[in-house]
Parts: sequence; C-alpha cells; structure tokens
Amino acid sequence: MESFKTLIVILMSSVLVNNYVLNRFLGICPFLGVSKKLNQAVGMGISVIFVMLLATTVTWPIQYYVLDTNDLGYMQNILFILIIAALVQFVEIALKKFIPALHKSLGVYLPLITTNCAVLGVTINNINDKYSFLESMISSLGAGLGFLLAMVLFSGLRSKIEESEIPPSFRGLPVTLIAASFVSLAFFGFAGIVENLIGG
Amino acid sequence: MKNNSNLSALLKGILLENPVFVLVLGTCPTLATTTSIIGAFSMGIAAMVVLICSNAVISALRKVIPDTVRIPCYIVIISGFVTIVKLFIQAYLPSIFSHLGVYLDLITVNCIILGRAEMFAGKNSVGRSVLDGIGMGIGFTLALLSISLIREVIGAGTFAGMAIPFIIDHRIEFFIKPPGGLLVYGIMIAVVTKITNGRAPFKKEFTCEGCPSAGVCHTCKKVLKEEN
Amino acid sequence: MKNHIKNVLSLALICAVVALLLAITNSIAAPIIKEQEEAAVSSGLVEVLPNGEGFEALDLSEFTLPETVEEAYSEKNGGYVIKLRTAGYGSDLILMCGIDKDGTVKGVKYVSGNETLGVEVTYGDNLVNTTSDTIDAVETVAGATKTSAAFKNAVKDALNSAVILGGGSVDIRDEATILNDNLSIALPSAEGKFTEIFITEEVGNISAVYKADNNTGFVFVIGENFVAADVNGDITAEFGEAIKNEISAVAPKIINSTMTEIDLSGFADMPSHIQKAYKTSGGNYVFDLRAAGYGINGDKYTRSNEYIEIKVSVTPAGKIIVCKTTAQKESEGIGDACANLEFYSQFNGKEEANYGEIDAIAGATITTNGYKSAISSVFTAIKILEGGAR
Repeated sequence: MESFKTLIVILMSSVLVNNYVLNRFLGICPFLGVSKKLNQAVGMGISVIFVMLLATTVTWPIQYYVLDTNDLGYMQNILFILIIAALVQFVEIALKKFIPALHKSLGVYLPLITTNCAVLGVTINNINDKYSFLESMISSLGAGLGFLLAMVLFSGLRSKIEESEIPPSFRGLPVTLIAASFVSLAFFGFAGIVENLIGG
Repeated sequence: MKNNSNLSALLKGILLENPVFVLVLGTCPTLATTTSIIGAFSMGIAAMVVLICSNAVISALRKVIPDTVRIPCYIVIISGFVTIVKLFIQAYLPSIFSHLGVYLDLITVNCIILGRAEMFAGKNSVGRSVLDGIGMGIGFTLALLSISLIREVIGAGTFAGMAIPFIIDHRIEFFIKPPGGLLVYGIMIAVVTKITNGRAPFKKEFTCEGCPSAGVCHTCKKVLKEEN
Repeated sequence: MKNHIKNVLSLALICAVVALLLAITNSIAAPIIKEQEEAAVSSGLVEVLPNGEGFEALDLSEFTLPETVEEAYSEKNGGYVIKLRTAGYGSDLILMCGIDKDGTVKGVKYVSGNETLGVEVTYGDNLVNTTSDTIDAVETVAGATKTSAAFKNAVKDALNSAVILGGGSVDIRDEATILNDNLSIALPSAEGKFTEIFITEEVGNISAVYKADNNTGFVFVIGENFVAADVNGDITAEFGEAIKNEISAVAPKIINSTMTEIDLSGFADMPSHIQKAYKTSGGNYVFDLRAAGYGINGDKYTRSNEYIEIKVSVTPAGKIIVCKTTAQKESEGIGDACANLEFYSQFNGKEEANYGEIDAIAGATITTNGYKSAISSVFTAIKILEGGAR
C-alpha cells in the first residue's frame, strides 16, 4: 500500500501544491487567454488533460526504450515536441472522423495545445523526476486536473473583474495578472495541508 | 533610409515592441526564472542565442520550406537550437544548468521564438532577421532583468547573490514566490503602458488575438468568432 | 500528390540535418558534461574526506553491508566515503561520511532529510575524529535523541562498512540476530524460532532458557554457553560434567513448572502496583507489576500515559529470581533503557534489604524511581500473601 500512498501524494501535490499553472507557470498563456468564459475554460482544461495523458503514454516508453537504450538522450526535446504536435493533429483528425460531437466542443482548443508548455513540461518533468510509468501517468493526470482547476477558479474571478472599475493603465492584462497572483497565493494554503494529511 | 529601418528592426524590440511587456509573449519563463538576477540573465541570453540562430536559419530557408509544413519545420529547427544551447550550458555552466532546470527545455515552446519566426523571419532577409533576433533578445533579457531586480532585491534581500545590508533582514519573501512574480509582472506592464502612453501598439486583451500563431491557426479564428 | 511528397521530404530533410547537428554537438559536449558531473561528485566527497583524491565508486553487490549504506567510494590512500540513508525523526536522513585508512571518521555531512530540530546540521561535527572504539562515548543530543542516535548509528555502520570494504570482517548483526544465531547453532531442529521461558524457580547459574517453538527441545544459557536439551530436558550436546550436572539438576524444575493465579480480591492493602499474582508449582510467586514511569509521574502532557509492565518471580522468602520488563513506552533513547537486559537483570537475586543498590538509568531518574517503587511492592505483597497462606 506504500506505493498507493506515493501515487496519492504525487496526484495531490501536482494538482494543488505544485500546480503547473500557478506554481510553475507552465501553460500560463492559455490560462490567461482562454479563461474568460467558464465553458471555454472547461473545454481547454479537458483537452489539456487528454493530450497530457496521451503524450505521457507515448513519450515515457520512447524515452526509456528508444532514447536511453541507444544513448540518444539529446534527442529528447526535439522528439517530444514532434510527438506532441503529431498527437494533437492525430487526435483532431480522429475526433473529427469518429466523434464529431466531441470534436465540436473540444476541437477548437486542440491546436493551441501544441505550444502549451505545460504539456512538454509535464512529459520532461516525469523523466527528470525518474517516475515509473504509473507514477508518470498519475503526475500527468494531476497536472491536467490542476490546470483545469486553476482555469475554472480563475474564470469565475475574471467575470467579476470585467465588471469593476480599474485605473486605465491597469486595464486588461495587468489587472488579470494581479488577480492571478491572488489565486496563486490562495493555492499556497494547500502546501501544508497535503503534507500533513497524506505526506506525514 | 535603409540603415534607418535596420536600426528600427533592432530597437523596436527593446521598448515599443518589447516581447514581454508589450507583445506579452514568453510569459512562462518571464515568471519562472525571475526569482534571481543571475537566473533571469542566463535565461535571457539563452533565449536570445536560440532566437538569433533560429531567426537566421529560418530566414535563410524561407524559400525552401513548403508553406503547409512550415510550423513543424520551425519547431524542429528551434528545438534543435534549444538542445544545442542546453548541451553547451550543461557542459560549461553546470550551476546555471541546474538553476534553470526544465525551463531551459521549454525555450522550445517559448512563444517569442516561434512568434518571431512566423511574424518576421519567415518574411524578411537573413540580415534583418538577425537584427530582429538581437533586438527582441535584448528586449526579453532587459525585461527579465528588471522584473528579477525587483523580485530578488525585495524578496531575497540580495543583488545577484550578494547580500544587501539592512534589506536582507527585512526581505519580503512573497516576491520570490510565484504569486509575487505575477504581481510584479502585472504592475510592470501597467507602468510600461503608462510610460509609452499608448504609443505602443498595445493589445486590448490577451486572447487568441495576441497569440503569435493566430495567423496560421485556423481554430484561433473560430475561438475569436465564437467570442464575438 | 507531388506537393505532399515535397512537404514530407523537406520536413524529413530538416529533421535529419538537425539530428546530425545535435549528434555532433553531443559528441563534443557529452565528455565535458561527464567530467563536470564527476567533478561535482568528488568535490562533495572531498568535503567529508579532506586530502582524499582519486575517488572511485564501488560496486556494493559483492559485499554484505549494513542496510543503511547506499553508495560507497574508495580513495587512493585507502580511505572511503560512504553515503548512508537512515530513518530520522521526520523522513529519511541522508548522510555522507568520510573515513580515512586508519578507520577514523574524517567528516560527516548532512545531505538531506526533513528534520526540524537543527541538530542534523551540526551533530556530525561531534563524530569527527572518532573511531569504532570511541564513537560510543559521543553523547546524543537531549531533545533530539532520535535524530542524533540515528546519526550515530549510521556513522557506526559506515565505520563497519569501511572495514568490510577493506577486506576485513565485522559483526554487523544486531543483538537479537546474534542471540538467535547462537540458539540456532545449539538447536538446529528449532529452525530459528524460539520463545524465552520466564524462569520461576531458582536455577543457579542459568541465565535464560529458550523453548523451540516447534517443541523440538530447549536451549539453556549458562555463562557463555548455549546448551541444547531435548523436550524432557536431557542434554543432547557435548559439554563438560560441571555444566551438565548443573543443568540436569534444575531442568525438570523449569520445564515442569506450572503457575496458578491467585485471587487478589481477598487480600486487603495489596500494593496498587500488583496487577496479577501467581503461585508456581515450586512454591514461588510470580507477579505482573505496573510501574509509573515518566509518562505518569513526569510531564503528563508530553508523553503518553503508559505504565511500564514488569514480570517478577520471587521466592517465598522474598528473594527475586528473575525480573523482566515486558512492555514500556518511556522516552526514546532515555527512559526506554528500562527495557534493556543490563538494567532489569540488576534486580535478579536482590532482596528487600538491597534491591535499591542498582545503577540508575542515566538521565531518567523518574523512570528509575518508578521502577524501584514497583519492585519494592513485591516484598510487601509476599508478606501479605504468605501471611494469608498461614
């Protein structure tokens, strides 16, 4: 059961404590760009979870069975980004053909994900942290869920900001960043909780 | 006249089209590596090297690369340069390598580089593209330095690792934590807006409009259409 | 179609060129990176073993080393640097320990861990320049006993490992393993599973008796000797006459002894320490005692309120045959010494007149006094019970 506990800790810490968006700043572009409306935030979040899991499923075996066995570690970056780009294309085509309904709701967000650094970030981090395959999948799931959570929470906050009066220089992006700062601050509260509840 | 436009290709990146404060690109390394001046400086230089090299190569190959597969080609070229820079940093500057960590790899997906490839290098001569790369690189580095200066001095009480008397005893750690980064960044953008007083082609909102790939990304148009 | 082929070809060509460039860069950078990493490792090693040079990582699979040892490096002059992982207060402590060719600790560095006390950073310095003979004399830090004890034990493991890596041999078994190994040598048929019998009769020089869990015999411990006997107590091993006679004289008494519980409700003024009392077939008494330790008499708010449980056998004349601590939850590294044989066996053979003449546990006055007070109640109980019997 020790390993189960490890998995829970990995999941909780990548959702709450080391949140990819608010703590590591990975995927901050779509976080600021697509969080204006709740339905967009959810759509983007779900697409990211999907692509992250898929990318991890492919990149993890490639790293350990192709790159490491042939001493080609230096090809990691270029191969991973190509895999992610190809996967995104592939998923879009597949969705369009087989599940048009899902494509209609998620399809728009998929191409944006290629240059989402959270996806490349999570695949490389899984390798750097020497996670096993299962741990990598859990960590990717956590990263994706954390992204979704941050997006959803923030979209609620943003609709309030839109309605308030802001000094001209701060309008638009500056106030959005400052609001994001407070959401990030709120996530700090989770650090101790996760450590004490599960980590102890 | 020609000289003049070359100069402007170089200088526009520093303030009027500053990639960080005005174009709002490369947000992720901007926030993540500005906890220390040294980290920010090395990230700035690393990104600048990649930017100049990839701008030069992409511009040189702009007539060879087929239009439909240009984005994958750009990504491969950029990723190649990122790996080369990463290997050299790892070999000769190991402390900076461990400091930058995964963010070094993530230069690949830094929007500034792909954005300049798409918006500038793919359409301009090699010389001008290199100048553009230098200008944007300097603008990026200066922006990172200014944010990191505020964050490190207030948050850690040090300047490039050296303790500053008095401040070190009254440091506000909030500023080197993630929320502090977002706060400083937000305020800096507001300040730059105030200084340039709207002279900069400042974007109204940070949405797909601001995304450098918006031009090529057909779905971006859909998102925008949906919003309107 | 032609366009498609052109697209794919140009993308493939660019990939190939980039891959080639990367391979060239890598061939230049990789050796430097490797050198760099080795330099980083050895600078960490020099920190704990100054003057060390020419470090080489050792393959540990050929050696039987203590479990705490994670990595080891040999050094040109015959010294070793050993990386250790041990359980600390919060999480695992990771230490680096440098030992020179004479077996002297030259440096102990705390690498990582989750300790909260601050002791971990400085305690290693106390262990510098100790050897396996002198390390035991270094005191643990009050208030951070667990961390400092873990530190000390890990460094002891490192000292032992250095000897083993140098081709020597050291007994790295703990006390329980040594005992079990000795018992198994004496009585192999027990397959390594023994239970200690609580001695209730006067048995001369025999210090302990173990029964095989599978009922194949007994092992009597007398001095340094482990003497095996069959189920009837007949000695099966070759030993001198003196030992044989001594054991065969008492073996039946021990093996055949039975106990009957005494109903204490009928006795007034029975000391509160007495939980249960038994009369043995040999006419002796056995008591289950409860002693108030640090948790009861000391600071009630920092320790669990647990009693120390003791088992004592006494002759009707009031002479303690065997005393043993059966359960305790005293402070780790201090009061928990009351569970050590060295402490409780001091009461063996004592009487009311001299039971107080024992060495107290260092730093645990409350525990020692609580223990003594429980033992004293035995003599009162004997008088009451003997009086009642009359």
